[in-house]
Amino acid sequence: MDANTSEIALVDRASETAVQQRARFERDALQYTNQLYAAALRYTKDPHDAQDLVQDTYAKAYVAFHQFEPGTNLKAWLYRILTTTFINTYRKDQRRPQISDGELEDWQIYDAASHTSDQGRSAEDVALDGIADLDVKAALAAMPEEFRMAVYLADVEGFSYKEIAEIVGVPSGTVMSRLHRGRKMLRESLAEYAKTRGFNKKTGGESDE
Amino acid sequence: MSELHAIPCDQVLQTLVLYIDHELATEQDYQIYQIHFQECPPCHELLVHESESLSFMQNLLRSACNEQAPEDLHDRIRRQISVMSATAQVEYFSQTTITNFSFDGTTSIQVTQEFTTEIRHDLTDGE
Repeated sequence: MDANTSEIALVDRASETAVQQRARFERDALQYTNQLYAAALRYTKDPHDAQDLVQDTYAKAYVAFHQFEPGTNLKAWLYRILTTTFINTYRKDQRRPQISDGELEDWQIYDAASHTSDQGRSAEDVALDGIADLDVKAALAAMPEEFRMAVYLADVEGFSYKEIAEIVGVPSGTVMSRLHRGRKMLRESLAEYAKTRGFNKKTGGESDE
Repeated sequence: MSELHAIPCDQVLQTLVLYIDHELATEQDYQIYQIHFQECPPCHELLVHESESLSFMQNLLRSACNEQAPEDLHDRIRRQISVMSATAQVEYFSQTTITNFSFDGTTSIQVTQEFTTEIRHDLTDGE
C-alpha cells in the first residue's frame, strides 16, 4: 500500500510515455470493473446495457486519463464518467430528473425529531432478516432513478455527500435530500416485501395493520 | 454539564444522520455531539438505534449488489484498450454549470458534462 501510494505521488505525467500511461491505467483503473458493473446494473437494470455502459466508461476514461490528477480519487472519477455516460446515452427516459421545489432544504426534516419517535423499526429490521437478495434488488430497481443512485453511491459504495454531488452533478444539499428520502423509501419498500414473503412473524400484532 | 447545552436535543436529532454518515463539518462538531451523547441517554439510545438500523440496511444492500462482471467483459475492455492505444487521439472534457435564481426563491442548477473525442486511426493494426 505504501509503495503504491508513493508510486502514484511520483507519477510525472509530462514525461510519462504512452506505454507507461497505459500500464498505469490497466493497473489502477481496471480493478474497478466488477464494482462498476454492479453499479451499471443498478443504473440500466439490464445486463447487456450494463456491460456496454462499463465498456464505454473505460473507453472514455482511457482517452481522458491524462487529465486525471494522480493521487486523487480514481474510483470517484470513474463513477463520474459512468454516471455521466449513463445519463447522456443509456437512460431510456432522457429527461433529467426534476429537482422539486424545497428539495434543497427538506433533508433537515428528520423523522427522529423528538425522543419519542417510533420505536418500531427494530422490529422491522428483525422482520427483514430473512429477506432475499432478489427482493433487495427489486426494491432498489423500483425506486426513482435519482434516489436509487444516491442510496447506491452512499450505502453500497461508501462515497461522501460531496463525492456523490460531483459524480451525479448536483449540489450536496440535493444529495442529502435524495439520500434521506431514498433510504426511507427503500426501508418501507423492504418492509412490504418482508410482509408479503411472510418474514414478519416476530413483529407481533402491534404494527399498522 | 453546561456543555450539554452547547447543542440542544432537537438540533442533535435533526442532524443525527450527518453524525452517523460522518458528514459533520469539523472535528469540533463531533466532540460537541459526543459530549451530548455521553450526557443525554435518550439521544444516545436513538443514535444507537439509528446507526444499527442503517448499517443493517447497508449490509443487506452490499450483499445483494455484489455481481461480478462476466469474464467476457474483462476481455472486451482489455482488447479495446489495446486497439485504442494503437491510435492517436485528442480528447477534451468540459463541464458547464448554469445556476438560475428565480424570483420565487427557487434555485435550479444545470450541469452539462461533455466529452469530445477525436480519434485518428493512423495505424492499420490494433496490436
